[in-house]
Amino acid sequence: MDKTEIKDLLNLPIDGQLESHLALLAKMSQEFASSLDIDETLNNAIKQMMDYMDAEAASIFLLENNDSELVCRACAGPTKLIGLRLGAEQGIVGRSVQDNRVQMIRNVDEDPNFTAQVDEQTGFTTRSILCAPLVVKDIKIGAIELINKRSSDGLFAINDKHTLIALASSAALSIHSAAQAAALVEQQRIQRELELAREIQANLLPEPLGNDFPVHGLNLPMLEVSGDFYDFLVLDDDRILFNLADVSGKGINAALLMAKTSSLFHCLGKTINAPGQLLAMINNEICENTTRGMFVTLIGGIFDPHSRSITLANAGHHPPLMQHQNGRFEEIACGEMPPLGIIPNLEFPEYPLNLDQDSLYLYTDGVTEAYLDGEMLGEHGLQTLIAQHQGKPISERLKDIINSLQQDEQSLHDDVTMMIIEATTSPLLTESFPAESSKLKDIRNVMQTTLKQAGCSIEQTEGIVLAVSEAAANIIQHAYADCPDGRIDLVIHMNNNELTVVLRDYAAPIDISSVTPRALQEIRPGGLGTHFMQQLMDNLVYTVPTDGIGNRLEMRIKIQ
Amino acid sequence: MTTPSDSSVQYNITDEQGFLVIHFAGEIDLHGSPHAREVILDCINQQRNTVIDLSDITYIDSSGIASLVEGYQLAKNKQLEFGLINISKPALSVLKLAHLDKVFPIHNSLSDRLQSS
Repeated sequence: MDKTEIKDLLNLPIDGQLESHLALLAKMSQEFASSLDIDETLNNAIKQMMDYMDAEAASIFLLENNDSELVCRACAGPTKLIGLRLGAEQGIVGRSVQDNRVQMIRNVDEDPNFTAQVDEQTGFTTRSILCAPLVVKDIKIGAIELINKRSSDGLFAINDKHTLIALASSAALSIHSAAQAAALVEQQRIQRELELAREIQANLLPEPLGNDFPVHGLNLPMLEVSGDFYDFLVLDDDRILFNLADVSGKGINAALLMAKTSSLFHCLGKTINAPGQLLAMINNEICENTTRGMFVTLIGGIFDPHSRSITLANAGHHPPLMQHQNGRFEEIACGEMPPLGIIPNLEFPEYPLNLDQDSLYLYTDGVTEAYLDGEMLGEHGLQTLIAQHQGKPISERLKDIINSLQQDEQSLHDDVTMMIIEATTSPLLTESFPAESSKLKDIRNVMQTTLKQAGCSIEQTEGIVLAVSEAAANIIQHAYADCPDGRIDLVIHMNNNELTVVLRDYAAPIDISSVTPRALQEIRPGGLGTHFMQQLMDNLVYTVPTDGIGNRLEMRIKIQ
Repeated sequence: MTTPSDSSVQYNITDEQGFLVIHFAGEIDLHGSPHAREVILDCINQQRNTVIDLSDITYIDSSGIASLVEGYQLAKNKQLEFGLINISKPALSVLKLAHLDKVFPIHNSLSDRLQSS
């Protein structure tokens, strides 16, 4: 396109005007391209346009609020209109935008769309208007409005119209590009913040410990941030406080509530070691100031690695799964309490559990709702999956189970979090004996050998052997009442110089209250066995085994 | 020594200076104590002063102690003498645990017992 063609296109009759016109376009384009502050650039541009077009005033209106309003973003001249809001179809500027046409009004008083309101407010007198829409392809952006030509008859001419069209096209493209650039910058900022949030959130999860640590957890967020979390911390007495939770909803809201709940648990848990009481306190805190409708399902507890016992408390989370040593699975019923953050002042009951050689699996519903081979995993599928990875070390098993859930991009629909709790030290002894008095000697012999290996003194060994033999004799005589075919399982653990002896039978449950020693002042036969056990051991606890069959006696003693 | 069938406790009885001396050896637990009890009560029921020699007892449990208590009580009822002699270390610690070391007449030997009366 040569100079004559451009002149014809722009309908510029005066030689020399083309050069100055092109120079203005070049300057404006350069300013738009070099600045990210769109308001400053627009104000510079409108001043230059006003001067160039020899108008008394000029303004740029842009569509905002889903194109429902026209807002003055830049202006030049005697009145300050920045921030003025008009309806998207209001006034001559509105008509120009809606009709996508240049409006050249030589006498505004004759135009039905003219809004005299602005003149009334500012004291300025509008006589003529030249207004061009700002459009990129089919996207309406706003309009440029020039008011009152200074020179000649005060009216805009046809060549002014063509010049404004050219300037408006350039400005529209620049405004559009600047808006897109700003959106991109905003998007990048949000992305950076999400990445930071994810990093902060990942730091709230505990560092994994070695395979000899009995609690392992893993979280796989679906979005940058997750509503799931888990935590564990070792208390001063070696017990391990743990939790696993799922916050309602997803995204930043859920992540913030996750951070709050997790921090409360971690902080309060250091002093409140009773899981039920801990959940009650966290529940009240969350109820006090949490967005309505948001809640947290949380299962928490304390694991004692010495006794291999767990105390659980549950706030609306689905029950955990226990895999017994023989491979059998059992869902651990632990209450119907609602999630945290819904009803204040609740009491959360505690559920004692003997872990022994079993493994406890805690998980969020993202696990059972995973799709493998086109079918939802479900609880039965999870049991099959766990069984497939049975026998692997705890951390490897957890990773492998979670990896199996990520079959393809369609497999997971929610955050996935899982925790495994199991005693990681092997027992010193696991043996089963017929419940017959003639086998008591065998039990004593096995105990002697085991205690010698464990480094017990001869004197302490004698005492422990007597206590265990008395306990076994009680089982034979009272629990089985000399019935044939009974069995006694004997398991011995050693943790940090504490010996734990577990005797388990399969007889009818005994009445624990009946197992009391007699007063020693009474000189009569019988009733001494329990007294011996209490005298010789540090601690005796009778419970019902997790499978509900028989009786379980746990005796503990510090080894000197 | 007499050994009851499949029992871990053995015994023999001697008649010395007006006393029946029951010498137990081995372990008196839930399995052996019924036999031990029977032997002890049998001697007392013969209207004889009885002492139990526990020198060769390597293990005794609460049921074994109960048999001794029963013998002590029966002898008392019959106004007969009853006592323990030569108590092995393991047996003594269990008697102490039951706080019975001060209840039973205990002597190092039968002659000590005779001298003390």
